Amino acid sequence: MTQASNTAMLAPPPRRRGWLPAGLGPATPALVLLTLFFVVPVVSLLLRSVLEPSPGLGNYAELLGSSTYLRVFLNTFLVSGLVTTVSLLIGFPVAWTLAIMPGRWARIVFAILLLSMWTNLLARTYAWMVLLQRTGIVNKTLINLGLIDQPLTLVNNLVGVTIGMVYIMLPFVILPLYGVIRRIDPSILQAAALCGATKGQALRRILLPLAAPGMAAGGLMVFVMSLGYFVTPALLGGTNNMMLAELIAQFVQSLVNWGMGSAAAFVLLVATLALYAVQLRLFGTSQMGGR
Amino acid sequence: MRKTTFLAALTAAVSLAGVAHAEDMVFTSWGGTTQDAQKAAWADKFTAETGTNVLMDGPTDYGKLKAMVEASGVTWDAVDVEGDYAVQAGKQGLLEPLDFTVIDKSKLDPRFVTDHSVGSFYYSFVIGCNADAVSACPKAWADLFDTANFPGKRTFYKWSAPGVIEAALLADGVAPDKLYPLDLDRAFKKLDTIKGDIIWWSGGAQSQQLLASAEAPFGSFWNGRLTALAADGLTIETSWDNNITAADSLVVPKGAKNKDAAMKFIALATSAQAQADMAAATGYAPTNLDSPALMDPEVAKTLPDQQKASQVNADMNYWAEHRDEIGTRWYAWQAQ
Repeated sequence: MTQASNTAMLAPPPRRRGWLPAGLGPATPALVLLTLFFVVPVVSLLLRSVLEPSPGLGNYAELLGSSTYLRVFLNTFLVSGLVTTVSLLIGFPVAWTLAIMPGRWARIVFAILLLSMWTNLLARTYAWMVLLQRTGIVNKTLINLGLIDQPLTLVNNLVGVTIGMVYIMLPFVILPLYGVIRRIDPSILQAAALCGATKGQALRRILLPLAAPGMAAGGLMVFVMSLGYFVTPALLGGTNNMMLAELIAQFVQSLVNWGMGSAAAFVLLVATLALYAVQLRLFGTSQMGGR
Repeated sequence: MRKTTFLAALTAAVSLAGVAHAEDMVFTSWGGTTQDAQKAAWADKFTAETGTNVLMDGPTDYGKLKAMVEASGVTWDAVDVEGDYAVQAGKQGLLEPLDFTVIDKSKLDPRFVTDHSVGSFYYSFVIGCNADAVSACPKAWADLFDTANFPGKRTFYKWSAPGVIEAALLADGVAPDKLYPLDLDRAFKKLDTIKGDIIWWSGGAQSQQLLASAEAPFGSFWNGRLTALAADGLTIETSWDNNITAADSLVVPKGAKNKDAAMKFIALATSAQAQADMAAATGYAPTNLDSPALMDPEVAKTLPDQQKASQVNADMNYWAEHRDEIGTRWYAWQAQ
């Protein structure tokens, strides 16, 4: 019995081998894992969303028909878009600087970037909470400098969420962008200058188009990660800019309404896959990794 | 061959774990200082008396509890839940009926006893104020809704649960004995007037942080958290005016593996001495009517059960029945 189950675990059943495209053999363990722990749960999620509490599309009708939930959807996309834009605006100059920096200095900056990535997410988010609150260091400094009289509201709103999330997402923009920019031949820019292009023109017509695949890859990754983000919006955001992941958690944990929770999760999944499909159509798979 | 040896070892390990399990039980609560106190006052004593190890798990998660019961894979034996959830879950068939031949309910506060649950501890929502941070402290719920005389941020409990809606209605002039059935329209209309001035706290530690840093210099708090802050040397004013009581309950999920141990554990946890110890450690009130006599009178008088002069009992049965409806509306209102 042990022998039989061992064989079943290690090798695909012979029948399957026939329809698996050639070359997928080595990927079988990963495929089995994905089927067991991804496909099966997703299908049961979908089933729950149309079966609980009663069969039908009632959950989806309620979700998409209510102005409150639509607001949450809209807000999720708004926050993700804002975070992506700001991350790209900050990330691009950083990646550019890193690419032209002497290697030793670049390594130090990378170490700082990666170190921040490896630090616990909750710890980093709580740190922002302490820094940004009304009685926090940022506000106290600004008041002591005489720049403001009243503390600025920097947490429990969109500002807090954006700051906290951009900080976490930056490495995901900088790393792919760095990869792309490093591969741009500096002589192309020299050639542009020789041909009379201003710095602005060189940026607009040469650098940005060449870096576009990296921007798209990094931007999409950040956007998709942001769509499903939970911890940072929950801690730094207010209740009136709730994101979808928080809504799902509420349905599952507080209201114990799994039908609605599943429906919301499924809508999020479909939106994410749709975005991925758009990316594939526009850039193909070869450039997803930055090249 | 090597695989077979590995499997054999794994099987041995699993069965060993199974043996160990027979002498253990799992108690799940909300973590933090409250669960620390429950461990010290109940679990450690239970282990000393019976030899059964009590493993701590947490935090309590109603989604998880339901999933365990539905999948017949219940790993929690005794769970601390909110009182209204206990009533609702009992009706939904998610809980084992308690064995009252093991648990002596004759001495327990009858407000918190149902077929499926007994009171774990009870607390009051009170008005707390960091007196160092403001010139005047709010004394009544109406003051918390009065932004002209009490400007600044105020903090309330974030989740849909007994407490905030009652406070809004009391502030709006509803008589304490006329609160139920809750007039939700009126409550939300009142809450709308201060919505922009509210910072929500989602856990006890956060409520303390908000008050201590004066991020929100006043608000509605669990009384025990204020006791702890005052003990740390902060100047905290507590107003017990119309304090709103709610209770946590102890329950056993349906299909719990160590049901008998769980019943004995709950029997000990609700005994007079264990409840007195828990109350002394947390500032929450005991649910055993014999406990106050066992406590230091100085401590006992600071507890919610001594603040009955101006006290409102949140109606757990009403909440259990309307939990979903109020919750859906509450979160929708917050998100607007």
